[in-house]
Amino acid sequence: MTQDPTPSHLDPQTYPRHRTDPTLNIHLELTYSPLNPQTALDKISSPAAGANVLFLGTTRNTFEDRPVAQLSYTAYPPLTLKTLSGIARDAVAKHGLTGIVIAHRLGVVPIQEASIVIAVSSGHRGAAWRAGEEVLEICKEKAEIWKREEFVDGEMEWRENRERDAEGKRVVSG
Amino acid sequence: MTIPTFQIHYFASATTYTGKQTESLPAPLPLHQLFDVLESKYSGIKEKVLTSCSVSLGEEYVDIHDCEGVMIDAGSEVAIIPPVSSG
Repeated sequence: MTQDPTPSHLDPQTYPRHRTDPTLNIHLELTYSPLNPQTALDKISSPAAGANVLFLGTTRNTFEDRPVAQLSYTAYPPLTLKTLSGIARDAVAKHGLTGIVIAHRLGVVPIQEASIVIAVSSGHRGAAWRAGEEVLEICKEKAEIWKREEFVDGEMEWRENRERDAEGKRVVSG
Repeated sequence: MTIPTFQIHYFASATTYTGKQTESLPAPLPLHQLFDVLESKYSGIKEKVLTSCSVSLGEEYVDIHDCEGVMIDAGSEVAIIPPVSSG
């Protein structure tokens, strides 16, 4: 059997990849470049919005007190963008959002830089606050993206979000 | 003569276990035999990795335990989807 070339979803040259829905003001992005929060805010801006909420997930330098040297992410866009589309559409419908951005960085993300940007806008603040948190939690549960932590001691581990809650505490299952 | 194949992509723990990001396997293959084929190539992968993974065929998730009659055809794209960790 022939040697398999690197699949396109692992080739940074095939990024950034976008999916947008102008009618619902939905903007999704997977990129190997640094994320720009101002760009996200500009996209959700709307004359009908009175509330704009921005969340940046940034890469932390420890995992359970072990020093982390760097983190990297991979995705499978055929599924990832589909999943993010569903999350965004559901959030717009449920919370009456006037705009939403979900952007995730891939490849190596140096410590302290943003790996995920969630930005949502709505007429009033309650809906935007709630939607921002909810969208992030559902992304962490469902989006087909994987984080690898490379420790200072040279070890590497793939992380699983199902093992941790929103406070970083270990989830006891079953 | 070219052997008909499908493409299978691995991620995270599945990449680590197989040492591969992708490979082509002989097609057609009944979907319910997929884990057995992988187990025969990568001993122990079923218990250590696959039990906690989902599987996609094309761009749809499939139920590997309830897929009687479903075939992985030549040219198809399959992905092993371990527990995710975005954010």
